[in-house]
Amino acid sequence: MRTIILSIAIRLLIPLFLFFSLYILFRGHNHPGGGFIGGLIGSIGFIFHAMVHGPQHTVNTFFRINFYGYQHQPTQSRSIYLMRMMRVNRWRKRKRHYLERRNRNRGLLHIEPIDLIAAGLFVATTSGMLGLFLQEPFMTARWVSFYLPFLGRLGTPLLFDTGVYLLVMGIVLKITFVMAEE
Amino acid sequence: MLVAILAGLIVSLSSPALYKMLGKWLFVPMALLPFTLFIYFCAFLPSVLQGHTFTSEYRWVPSLYINLHFYLDGLSIFFALLITAIGTLVMVYAGGYLTGHPLLGRFYLYLSFFMMSMLGLVLSGNIFCMFIFWELTSISSYMLIGFGHENAASRYAALQALLVTGMGGLALMAGLILIGNAGNSYSLSTLLTRQELIQSDALYLPALLLILLAAFTKSAQFPFHFWLPNAMAAPTPVSAFLHSATMVKAGIYLLARFNPIMGGTPEWQLPLLIAGSISAVAGAWLALQQTDLKAILAYSTISALGILVLMIGIGTDKALAAMLAFLLLHALNKCTLFLIAGSIDHATGTRDVKLLQGLGKSMRPIAIAASLVSLSYAGVFPFFGFISKELLYEATLEAESNAPVSFIIVFVSKVASVVIAFVLGYRLFWRTSTAPTVVRHPCGRKLYMPPLVLVFLSLLFGLLPSQLATPLLNSASGAVLSRGIQVDLHLLPKFSMALLNTIFTFIVGYLAYAQHNRLLNVAPRLLPLYNTGPESWYQQAITGLLKGSVKLTSMIQSGYLRSYIAAIVLVHVGLVILSLWGEGPALNISTRLDQLLDVKVYELVLLVLMVGSVFFLFRTRSRLTSIATMGIIGFSVALLYLLFGAPDVSATQFLIETLTVVLFVLVLHRLPPFRFLSHRYRRYKYIILSALFGGMMTYVLLLVKQFPLQSELKAYYGEHGYMLGRGRNLVNVIIVDFRALDTLGEITVLAVTALGIMALLRLRAEKGGKL
Repeated sequence: MRTIILSIAIRLLIPLFLFFSLYILFRGHNHPGGGFIGGLIGSIGFIFHAMVHGPQHTVNTFFRINFYGYQHQPTQSRSIYLMRMMRVNRWRKRKRHYLERRNRNRGLLHIEPIDLIAAGLFVATTSGMLGLFLQEPFMTARWVSFYLPFLGRLGTPLLFDTGVYLLVMGIVLKITFVMAEE
Repeated sequence: MLVAILAGLIVSLSSPALYKMLGKWLFVPMALLPFTLFIYFCAFLPSVLQGHTFTSEYRWVPSLYINLHFYLDGLSIFFALLITAIGTLVMVYAGGYLTGHPLLGRFYLYLSFFMMSMLGLVLSGNIFCMFIFWELTSISSYMLIGFGHENAASRYAALQALLVTGMGGLALMAGLILIGNAGNSYSLSTLLTRQELIQSDALYLPALLLILLAAFTKSAQFPFHFWLPNAMAAPTPVSAFLHSATMVKAGIYLLARFNPIMGGTPEWQLPLLIAGSISAVAGAWLALQQTDLKAILAYSTISALGILVLMIGIGTDKALAAMLAFLLLHALNKCTLFLIAGSIDHATGTRDVKLLQGLGKSMRPIAIAASLVSLSYAGVFPFFGFISKELLYEATLEAESNAPVSFIIVFVSKVASVVIAFVLGYRLFWRTSTAPTVVRHPCGRKLYMPPLVLVFLSLLFGLLPSQLATPLLNSASGAVLSRGIQVDLHLLPKFSMALLNTIFTFIVGYLAYAQHNRLLNVAPRLLPLYNTGPESWYQQAITGLLKGSVKLTSMIQSGYLRSYIAAIVLVHVGLVILSLWGEGPALNISTRLDQLLDVKVYELVLLVLMVGSVFFLFRTRSRLTSIATMGIIGFSVALLYLLFGAPDVSATQFLIETLTVVLFVLVLHRLPPFRFLSHRYRRYKYIILSALFGGMMTYVLLLVKQFPLQSELKAYYGEHGYMLGRGRNLVNVIIVDFRALDTLGEITVLAVTALGIMALLRLRAEKGGKL
């Protein structure tokens, strides 16, 4: 379904969907909203993108983070090598020709929607662990004592909701992408 | 003590990553972990020996009394030291044994996780905590036994061990909860003081049987012994660890731990005596007929475990001290023997006793270790084996009842161990042979140092019994009996029946060794007899289970979505009718008729829209139309939610409807053309079913609204939602704070469902099927 209208529109709409979903996530504690709804809203933008461009393209565009590699020279010291690595990644556009000549795609970080599911579960579980380390029952809520603009008061329930958000987004995207690839 | 367990967990989980960094030096951090823990527990030793106990408690789920509660007394520290000391040596050995194995990192992960869970088991002071660590040992041993998973025998053995010990684990949970209820506490230190309360309770006998079942499955007692010899499919370091300080000793630990709580009654002693005796004799008899080195050792472990259980069954002070001394000896020696068997296997490529000979020259350090440990194992004078054997004989001779029977059983087991000692210490290495077995490569330092260290330890324990072993054993047996006892171990023998018997055992053992070859030749002919043993019962049970589940599945799983829905609806309707039949409250509409008839215009519009869509849905022949119509129904429902004041539910419904439409659109063009496949009468059947369900739901809703809604929970959440949950949206506060654990369960289910959907779709795509 390659339509120009949709493909242009979705490019503008994805940030909107994402910001709106985050807004829904953070307001959830005091007003209608929350992680579940937020996750669903956040995934809609990506789904439309996948409908237009195909799921593989969506994953490549939004879920792939590239780290460019650089061969370690035998005589080179470790710290210089690390600094070189950082510079290569920072100036990666300028140095593209240089990188393509050297070995590409070393240490490429590739995130799939399924990693979002894992991250969501991890975040949700971790939010409960804090209580455990403070000698309190699992999942005891902890709050910080100050307010932040837009976000409200931070605390472990919010972290838990973020986990739900990530997980729901990951699940919806994964299922849709797999079905679309078929 | 949480630190110790957590450190183990972290190190074990990081081992695959460490393997990438360190390569063959991975064994250094992995061996340092148990060694550090060993030092850590040594620091507790002086005060524990004086009779102090240490507890540390971390609240976990206090409302269910599930806490991370650690309890360190004489018995725990005895086991903890054993586990960490042997763990250190096994870790070093494994580095040599599996050098260059691509999955070495994963192997160390399993091994140290196994050690950590065993350590947790012996340290836990809360019975739930104990159960969790017990199950962790089962699971991690499953991973370890099935480490060579390309091998079918390995997978079979792993599954068998998991099923047998898992059954015991379930029994343990039930038994522990019964004990907890009888003793009105779930903490071990409290239960230890409530012996009379528990023993006079009606739950005592069932709890006792369940605990015994758990201990017998874990400690490979007859008739559950068959998993242990099969478990030798694991790499040798695992076998060495499994047979010496961990896993099978967990059952013994359980019995020793619960001896002060449940012991002292005939109900406790009799099963122990019977199971221990049968296992001791059967294990000894079977061990002598094996030609595989590891099988010999595995069966002799069953025999030794039988002796340990028997000693707990006898239950006198002396018997328990003898039990602990023998446990220490067995852990040291059996580990050494397994390590030696592994080194021989590694160097020559075979474990067959008949093929191995004349290894004394080509494997000098291993040969020395083997000979020395065999001396200890056979119970020769300056070694710890001698002291332990004396104690065993004394204990059986002084037993209150059945002294001759238990004496004979110990005697048989000990004769078998003398024969095994001859085979391992003499026959393989020093017997004159014309064609010594070819050694493919010499054993490295990592392969011969651990056995040598262990041999040195058992010599040291033998030479300095009053300094090393006595205090440790006294404090441990004090914990087993819940009162202080004094047993002095001494090296120099007094002239007594026990000494005579020791010498007699040695002579009979030598005579039996002379006949050993003849027995090995006869053994294959006895195989049909053994094939009808408990293992065949296990196999029959497994095949029966598989066949039964195939039948059951074909009966209830038709594969048609419509029959599943019909079944769910019918069961639901049936249950509701059943509960409303008879004394159920009658529906009374007449007083609320005006309230029901007060329908707003927009509600009516939505209703008409929905009903109209439903009828339209029945008539349409286009998929796109039906999806759109279903969307209308869904959005109308969402609007209704909104109108009746549930914005959260409504928003979710809106989004789900949108997503459903999107998903349908994605797959729409792949679906086959729309056809009416069902017969007319079947459609009528489903219409009746739907009407029945709708009518039932309407009736129930009307009935529910008849009563005023009074709920304490509602008031509680309303009151505390803002104060405790710090949120004004009560639904969200409940989801992420008050009932967060439920939500965690739900999102876990969601994640698993997503994985399932993914696997199903991928599987079909690979087979070339169309979606």
